[in-house]
Amino acid sequence: MIPIIGLAVGVVLGLLLAPSVPLGLQPYLPIAVVAALDAVFGGIRARFDGIFDAKVFVVSFVSNVVVAALIVFLGDQLGVGAQLSTAVVVVLGIRIFGNAAAIRRHLFRA
Amino acid sequence: MSAPAPGRQRSLGASLLDQVLAETLDPAYAQAAATRAQRTPGDGVPPGGTGWFGRSRGQLLVALTLLVVGLLAAITYREAAAGAQGREVARQSLREDIGVESEVTDGLVTQLEQLTGEVTRAREQALAASAVGQRALDQLAEAELAAAISAVSGPGLRVTLGNAAPSADSDPVGGSQEVSGPGVVQDGDLQLVVNALWASGAEAISINGQRLAATTPIRQAGKAILVDSRPVTSPYEVSAIGDPDSLANRFVLTPEASTVAELTADYGVVFNYAEVDDLDLPAGTAAELEFAGPLDPAGAAAGPGTGLGASTGVGTDPDPTPDGG
Repeated sequence: MIPIIGLAVGVVLGLLLAPSVPLGLQPYLPIAVVAALDAVFGGIRARFDGIFDAKVFVVSFVSNVVVAALIVFLGDQLGVGAQLSTAVVVVLGIRIFGNAAAIRRHLFRA
Repeated sequence: MSAPAPGRQRSLGASLLDQVLAETLDPAYAQAAATRAQRTPGDGVPPGGTGWFGRSRGQLLVALTLLVVGLLAAITYREAAAGAQGREVARQSLREDIGVESEVTDGLVTQLEQLTGEVTRAREQALAASAVGQRALDQLAEAELAAAISAVSGPGLRVTLGNAAPSADSDPVGGSQEVSGPGVVQDGDLQLVVNALWASGAEAISINGQRLAATTPIRQAGKAILVDSRPVTSPYEVSAIGDPDSLANRFVLTPEASTVAELTADYGVVFNYAEVDDLDLPAGTAAELEFAGPLDPAGAAAGPGTGLGASTGVGTDPDPTPDGG
């Protein structure tokens, strides 16, 4: 229950406070969100599997976001930023889909 | 995902894909669970938390992380929405700028017409008093007619040239209604028609209400065709005043007309013409002479009209579009 409240508070804070993001960081926001989504879906699935672990969740979230942003940053420096963004989105997207399917199996037994 | 058969070499790409598809859950969860299962019997650590991560502390951390997730998502959403909004705002302000500047231009044109009218009236008042002045006025009217800076009317030919209709199999969803490629009328096509009309004996020509004077350009700027530096759009109506008996016949027989007719056959360009009994053509803009002056000022004043034949000077000019192409 507390985590869901945290999520809601975060969304409301982000919409209300409307913090301005430095221009240099803006390209990494969408990728960071996709990486965060991957961590969240992984956590939900682990919870259904009964192997959820707070430490693993927090570490996987932070590392996911940082590594995804880093890959895109490196790609930008090397001139393949768009392609690497696509690669990150594809891999994370597949994982999100897989985890969402597992969650669905848990919820609906189908 | 079935594991690859032992001994059979999988390609790197396939094994990579297998791994991505099979391992959707971070293996660290399973490891942590295994560690916990080992410890639980002896340590008495409550299930759901590892050693130094107390259960409530862990929940708090998860909540904090999710708060960051929500914050991140909301900020990203706001940025994306603001970006789209900003583009729309910029486009809207550009559109308004265009409208404002167009109004300014229209106002200036109206002012110019007004002032020109005043000048003309003042000149007429000054010259109409004397017989010499009256004669000069007549000559001036003739010259203005020849230079296409006074409105004229008469019988003639109306040639319509238009872009081809969009093809039936063009994409109605993603594609625009605009025709592209060979079905679009080019400035050269209009020039062909205009030249053919001049050569057929036309005395005055206008395109979509833009009168053609001796040096009026017909040019292409991007997708738009400019006549006298003002944009005209398809369908292009070329109105020409000339001998009603011969203009149409001579026009049809010109090589230019058959070239344009071929465009119709090949690319579907709209091309037709009709004889009209009464055409009204507006006045054109005069070419400003900045450097050229009369060869002999005294002679020009004493024996005017020699070089300014009213009906022939413009009518036989074969190329009224020196800037074209």
